[in-house]
Amino acid sequence: MKNKDLALSHKAPLQMEPEVIEAEMVLPTYLSFKKVQMHEKYPKGQARGRHWKHLKQIIQAENYQNYPPDEPNYVNIESPPSMNPCKKICDITGFEAPYSDPRTTLRYANTEVFKHIRLIPNESVQRYLALRNAQVVLK
Amino acid sequence: MPFVSQTSLQSDYTLFSSNCPIVIDNGGSNFRIGWAGETDPRIIFRNIVQRPRHKATGETVTIVGDHDPALMKYFDCTRSSPRSAFDSNVVYQFEIMEYILDYGFERMGADGSQVDHPVLITECVCNPVQSRSKMAELLFETYGVPSVAFGVDAAFSYKYNQQLGICDKDGLVVCPGFTTTHVIPFVDGEPVYKACCRTNIGGFHVSDYLKQLLSLKYPHHMSRITWEKVEDLKMEHCYIATDYASEARLFQKGGKEAEDKTRCWQLPWVPPPVEGLPSEEEIARKAAIKERQGQRLREMAEAKRSSRINELENELQGLEFLLQQLGNVEEKDIACFLAETGYVSKQEIESSRAKVMQSLRKAKGEPKGEQAETEEKVDPSAAEKYPLINISDNMLTPEQLKEKKKQLFLKTTSEGRQRAKQKRFEEELERERQNQQDEEKRLENPELYLEQLRAKHRELSEKVEQRKRHKTNGNHTNGNHNLSGGVGRGERLNAAQKERMRLLTTAAFDRGKGEDTFGARDEDWQLYKLMSKDNDEDEEGPDAYEAELARISSRLQDIDPNFVSKSELVPFQPVVEVPSFRPLSKEDFQIVFGVERFRCPEILFHPNLVGVDQVGVDEMAGVSIRRLPSRSQGLNERMTNSILLTGGSCLFPGIRERLEAGIRMIRPCGSPIRVVRASDPVLDAWRGAAVYAASLQFPGQTFSKTDYYEKGEDWLRRYTLRYTL
Repeated sequence: MKNKDLALSHKAPLQMEPEVIEAEMVLPTYLSFKKVQMHEKYPKGQARGRHWKHLKQIIQAENYQNYPPDEPNYVNIESPPSMNPCKKICDITGFEAPYSDPRTTLRYANTEVFKHIRLIPNESVQRYLALRNAQVVLK
Repeated sequence: MPFVSQTSLQSDYTLFSSNCPIVIDNGGSNFRIGWAGETDPRIIFRNIVQRPRHKATGETVTIVGDHDPALMKYFDCTRSSPRSAFDSNVVYQFEIMEYILDYGFERMGADGSQVDHPVLITECVCNPVQSRSKMAELLFETYGVPSVAFGVDAAFSYKYNQQLGICDKDGLVVCPGFTTTHVIPFVDGEPVYKACCRTNIGGFHVSDYLKQLLSLKYPHHMSRITWEKVEDLKMEHCYIATDYASEARLFQKGGKEAEDKTRCWQLPWVPPPVEGLPSEEEIARKAAIKERQGQRLREMAEAKRSSRINELENELQGLEFLLQQLGNVEEKDIACFLAETGYVSKQEIESSRAKVMQSLRKAKGEPKGEQAETEEKVDPSAAEKYPLINISDNMLTPEQLKEKKKQLFLKTTSEGRQRAKQKRFEEELERERQNQQDEEKRLENPELYLEQLRAKHRELSEKVEQRKRHKTNGNHTNGNHNLSGGVGRGERLNAAQKERMRLLTTAAFDRGKGEDTFGARDEDWQLYKLMSKDNDEDEEGPDAYEAELARISSRLQDIDPNFVSKSELVPFQPVVEVPSFRPLSKEDFQIVFGVERFRCPEILFHPNLVGVDQVGVDEMAGVSIRRLPSRSQGLNERMTNSILLTGGSCLFPGIRERLEAGIRMIRPCGSPIRVVRASDPVLDAWRGAAVYAASLQFPGQTFSKTDYYEKGEDWLRRYTLRYTL
């Protein structure tokens, strides 16, 4: 009985602005083709979505090491690191960068860029480094 | 060409029989759903979900896909950001997935008590079985789907193009997607997943890179550089250079070609209301008003001055009168007479009279004369005040000697004062002369003078900055030793403090001889003088610099129309500073990007530009071919002869040539290489799936709910589709 009441209550459309209703952008709360409605599956108030495992956990739980290694699975089809030497480009301008600043470890192309590097605040420096995943992470 | 979403409600759901499968391409960027056998998906929308609060009713609603921002203003989106069901290319958030499927089916016009059609849905290569089983469960349990099949989108695209004749049954499919890039070899029309290769770089990373670069280059326009806008920019303007190094050199030289390739995005900007050149009458009128105001001020000053002069004169008269009266009064009555007036003695009256006369003269505006007067007054009195000095010692009595000492002392101090005054005067003259010279220099060569002044200003400001940084030792993690271990004690002490610490420690250092001999000699106590905080000599240096800097800044502000006194003005192309002293112009609201156009998609070929330590697309082909289990010479050549580019991120201009060049580098010389783009990289996956689902053998490839529950997870893990039907 309770479920039916709930279903009926959710059939009433929400009071909304006309153009929003016309655009049909809001998902209706009751859908006839569903056996279990969303609000029943995920009742309000309960912690929703925090129990979903992230990819790393999923992979770990897969236990790929138990299976023969030549069978393709999500992990072993991943690409290896590159054989070529890493291309060094200036962090700020994108030109070729033969030099790197010893203090901030940013790469730069010429002296003007270098002057600029020395003037920008540390926050920007870390953001530039974060572009190539080289920022300093203090634990 | 941004992707367009199609979300109009379909009305012909009931016209399709229960046998007709529904085909879903569940991609990282877009969700496409339609009927099998058709050429185009019915519904396309972005694969994201938002749960904002409706402002008027306070209800939390679900909005799937991206919608008109004008309508979004009715919702409070501060707490809800768009969320995707994917983590990399694997579905992990099934609540969001359910919302998306809800919306997809609802838009298809689904009704009835369940979705009574077989469903073909795409997944990533080697999807973890957990994700697969949860998806199957969702479809079976919640939607009542009778049977389900899983396939790989890149494979469907290849098969479709194979049927079109664009590629052969042996070949390679290169699919840069939204979050990942795959290379899958095909042998005899079936994908060989063993040899497949995946790099975790896709269109998402390209957009993110572009967004970060633009935000760092234009920090004050950061709020306008939104994700959606950046994606638009990427799709419209980014291209892949045939050779990154030469393209970069082209831009570095800065020639006309580079100019042509640079794009400029003008942000909306309202010019400040211009007053227009004031006409002649305006100028004259304003000048007249100013003149009148000046006049008024001068009159007021005059009036004040004259009233003060009157006052002083009155006072003077009064005092003189008093003195006169004093002269008339007898000796013994002086005391009581004076008591009435408030002065104690005659000298007092005389001194106050002298003071009043002085101020009167000052008010009347004769400063120099007054100074000369006082000087004159001093000199003769000096001669009479110090009569004893010139007389030699042995002729004086002891009291007279004391007198003499006093007079000597007074004389030297007054002479010292005079000398100081003289020096000041000379300095004044000197400064005047320098200013005069400066003026002459300026008048004869204004440009050069300005340049010199600006250069001097820059130098000085740098020096001052350095000094400041050196003193406080900065809050930057400048030194290498500061990077490890966080905040060290060395960071907090400046140079003076360090010096003091050094002195203390050397003094306290026990040289091991047993006795502490500090203090035995007088010089030891000088240590305290050195350490004393009052004695910080470092203070004087920068003051001189700062004073000089201030002087030059004020000078520049007077004569230079473009002067900006911010010490960090760097007129350099990569980062644009907002000059706060001159009015903002149209150029300040332009976002220019030239190098970023080809720098961002370059990460598809060099993922280590963004720190991902994997091979790029061109090398992936080589890796994939190497991984093939059965390698016959002919097979490799057939592989490279038919390389298909598909997926949304392969729409960059220039990618085909670049990929061809890259693969040529890793294959033996002379081997045939043919890289073709899919007929429609974005929709081909869906189309291929639709064609597949429409074939008669399709039901044999699906599995039903009973299959799913009976056969268990292990079977599901090994389940793969056979693509050649």
